[in-house]
Amino acid sequence: MSKDENNIIDEISTPNSIDKLIHEPARLNIMTRLYVVESADFLFMMRQTGLTFGNLSAHMSKLEAVGYIKIIKEFVGKKPHTMLKLTEKGKKAFDEYRKQMKQFFNEI
Amino acid sequence: MNEKIDLKKVEKQTYRFTFTDGLYDMAYGSLLVFIAIAPILREILYPSYIILLILPPSLILLLGARFITVPRIGIVKFNQNRTKSRNKIGLLIAILFPITVVMVVLTYLGLYNIKVGGYIVPVGAGVFALILLSLIAYILDYSHFYLYAVSIGLGIPLAELLKPIFGEPLHYLISFGISGTLILIYGIITLIKFIKKYPIPKEEISNVKG
Repeated sequence: MSKDENNIIDEISTPNSIDKLIHEPARLNIMTRLYVVESADFLFMMRQTGLTFGNLSAHMSKLEAVGYIKIIKEFVGKKPHTMLKLTEKGKKAFDEYRKQMKQFFNEI
Repeated sequence: MNEKIDLKKVEKQTYRFTFTDGLYDMAYGSLLVFIAIAPILREILYPSYIILLILPPSLILLLGARFITVPRIGIVKFNQNRTKSRNKIGLLIAILFPITVVMVVLTYLGLYNIKVGGYIVPVGAGVFALILLSLIAYILDYSHFYLYAVSIGLGIPLAELLKPIFGEPLHYLISFGISGTLILIYGIITLIKFIKKYPIPKEEISNVKG
């Protein structure tokens, strides 16, 4: 498939305003799971999403880079523990994404 | 791509996922089993047998979560609505537990004597337990507690009903032992499945990106 054809398909399947960072299935899964809880650790997210350690780590880095998730370090007993949480920016982006997708599907 | 993301459904799935270890079933099952053998234990270990009623379920929940569940599925903190629900249960238990203890102590001391005969007291106690555990099931949003409610709600009057037929301690073994053993076995099977499905990860991932 040529590059142009790929662009056309992408254009049809996703409207321009859709946040493509969230639209990717694995990241949408991560964002949805984090949206419904206060926070969760890396292992819990692995179990919930079914992603491997490497995959989840790569997606988390992308989401963290744009400020959609934040990493909280805390202690469980004496051990340091990393919790993941959706930021306000992430929540707003997710709400917006849902709104736009809903609108998109209502229009077709 | 799904056009609609049902967030309530996802939240409920996530919440129920934390119950898939079977620890609540094991804890409650063991409680019923110890209630079933309470008349035997009372003869041998009076009055310390009461500790055996409280200790095993508490240890199953605390140590199970610490050494089995958390290393396998990690930690999650739920939103305020869920936290509030658990606080409500805490409050409910905090109010009802001392009342129950005081009533039991007063009854033992003979200061508070229920002068009603027949099956009124066991039926009343059964209904009380049924309502209390059903309320916990509703607040906790965990359907197994309804089964627990029925097992103890029926068990108390059933024990009284079977006492003249089978005598002590067989009436307790039948009323609580059967349901307790079944729930305990179900919990153990669930736990084994859980352990097989979610092995402890080899990588140290509790402190990633730290």
